[in-house]
Amino acid sequence: MNKTLKISLIFFVLIFISSCQTSEIEQPEQTLGLFYPDYVSKPVYGFEKNKLTHDGIQLGRMLFYDPILSSDSTISCGSCHAQAHAFADHNMKLSIGVNNRMGLRNSPPIFNLAWHPNFMWDGGVNHIEIMPLAPLTNHLEMNESIVNILLKLNRSQTYKSKFLQVFKKDSIDDQMMYYALTQFMGSITSFESKYDHVKQGKVAFSSSENRGYTLFKTHCNSCHQEPLFTNFSFRNNGLDSVFKDLGRALITLNHSDEGLFKVPSLRNVALTYPYMHDGRFRTLEEVINHYTSGIKHSKTLDTSFFENPIQLNPN
Amino acid sequence: MKKNIFSKIMLLSIATTAILFTSCKKDDDTGGDNTPTKGTVKLEFEHKWGMNLVPFSMGVDIKQPKTGDTLKFTTLKYYVSNIKFKKSDGTWWSQDESYHLVDASIPSSLIISIADVPIGTYTEMQYTMGVDSIRNVSGAQTGALSTANGMFWNWNSGYIMTKAEGMSPNSPSGDYALHLGGFQGEFNVVTVKSTDFGGEVLNVSPSATPQIHLVANPAKFWHTNPGVKTISKIHMPGANAKQAAKDFYDGIFFDHIHP
Ligand code: HEC
Ligand code: HEC
Repeated sequence: MNKTLKISLIFFVLIFISSCQTSEIEQPEQTLGLFYPDYVSKPVYGFEKNKLTHDGIQLGRMLFYDPILSSDSTISCGSCHAQAHAFADHNMKLSIGVNNRMGLRNSPPIFNLAWHPNFMWDGGVNHIEIMPLAPLTNHLEMNESIVNILLKLNRSQTYKSKFLQVFKKDSIDDQMMYYALTQFMGSITSFESKYDHVKQGKVAFSSSENRGYTLFKTHCNSCHQEPLFTNFSFRNNGLDSVFKDLGRALITLNHSDEGLFKVPSLRNVALTYPYMHDGRFRTLEEVINHYTSGIKHSKTLDTSFFENPIQLNPN
Repeated sequence: MKKNIFSKIMLLSIATTAILFTSCKKDDDTGGDNTPTKGTVKLEFEHKWGMNLVPFSMGVDIKQPKTGDTLKFTTLKYYVSNIKFKKSDGTWWSQDESYHLVDASIPSSLIISIADVPIGTYTEMQYTMGVDSIRNVSGAQTGALSTANGMFWNWNSGYIMTKAEGMSPNSPSGDYALHLGGFQGEFNVVTVKSTDFGGEVLNVSPSATPQIHLVANPAKFWHTNPGVKTISKIHMPGANAKQAAKDFYDGIFFDHIHP
């Protein structure tokens, strides 16, 4: 190619690179929305400030599975929240953190988090974005400081370029990390169960499923309220008469909250065993036995168990 | 002939460049007169100890006069937020995103620089000790409110609004840690403080940076609460946190303005 021609071509290319950097010719990435069926109420977390994007979710996913977020690079969020179990633990009673440290409670599943008004079995965490602070810094879990995590992330060219792509900032701060994790966690939803397909008129329950549904509505729905299968209230469902874990009272300091725990959703419940805040029941049969014949009395036992004792043999 | 075409291309590209460059010029500063209308104010927190207000230092043994405890501070950090100044015409100016973390171990943090204050004379100020309830429930924040500052509870969401830690032979565990916070109900520690300048005026001008001196007295943590023998750790909102925070915040006072 002629030299002059080459030079002018280079010139042309340069024009496009150098021109208009501030006015963003490139198409901004399309923001996504949470999909949910019309019988489900609006989520409490709407991604207004933290715009949901494909790259943001991918980055959150990468962080979720990256053990460098823990003090000795052995534990990631995914270690205790396994996709095969609806992001609950790998069938462990209590969670295991760095150095095989035994946690205090059973890891709950992760889905439909955008509808949760608060987090943890005792509701101690008040916002999805700062939820990761607890496992990241708890010495029984990932045992790392936010300052160190930010150093590690900012040392990684891969993370730097991914964060730059999503948040348009050169230096990674904790808000960006929380935003990304929230995009991943908050976009995991559960609305494709048989229940949903029945609701949507695509299929019908079998006759035994229908009998179960009727029983459920009579005895369980006051707490495990459809369609999310929890009303997010704190209740004592009669597991103990003396409480080893005070539950909600640890947060509120009210005696009347002792032994109360957040009602867990029953979506994906077949996958999330073992059950309850301490993983004491291995099977759903044990859970049903508890509700029919194992309820223990205490000052804070939910009154519904007196008013409406559960009998599983309706005519 | 050939050469001619290339020089035309050259010309064209230069012309295009010129067009693009001019079209991309940012249109800020559209002239006008540039007399500054704003100035900077500094707000300094000085730490003094006990009834006699002797100078306070981190990392040395000091005696709490009321409890008799010997204390060696390793950490003293607290939030100051929502700073406002009252003009002599009665109107208020409020700083935007006004969240500051004072850390006794970081000298530069003891002087809060407040930029863009409209020029004029001011007679009073208002500030909040702690972080307003909204920011305690709004998820991930940045700057002074970042969780990297170690001032947010991980298991019971909310800011640790004041943190005092250290060693003491009088504590059963050998140390003490007062993590004071709580933003709702009866245990809310967030405290709005107002002070006039005692006849002095705050003159904000482009040419000088007046400095307001406030004095905080960490001995006040034990003004009502018993010594570290009885209460050496406070790790959540509650009556003890409320009392210690109230006494410390009540003890902060305006000293003078350095013009
Ligand atoms: C060592 C195991 C472990 C690790 C690692 C871990 N978690 Fe958890 N997670 C738990 C346990 C246990 C709970 C319940 C704690 C409680 O209620 O006190 C929990 C609770 C949660 C909840 C609240 C769910 C609900 O229904 O309230 C979310 C969300 C969550 N974790 C996300 C994460 C994220 C994000 C990470 C990585 C930054 C992570 N977890 C790392 C064990 C773990
Ligand atoms: C008064 C409220 C209430 C009622 C009624 C109730 N539950 Fe629960 N349920 C809870 C609470 C609270 C928990 C968590 C308790 C804990 O871990 O301490 C729970 C836990 C469970 C779990 C364990 C879920 C998991 O992931 O660990 C299952 C399964 C369950 N309930 C099924 C049922 C069924 C079936 C019924 C009806 C027969 C029912 N519940 C009625 C409040 C209730």
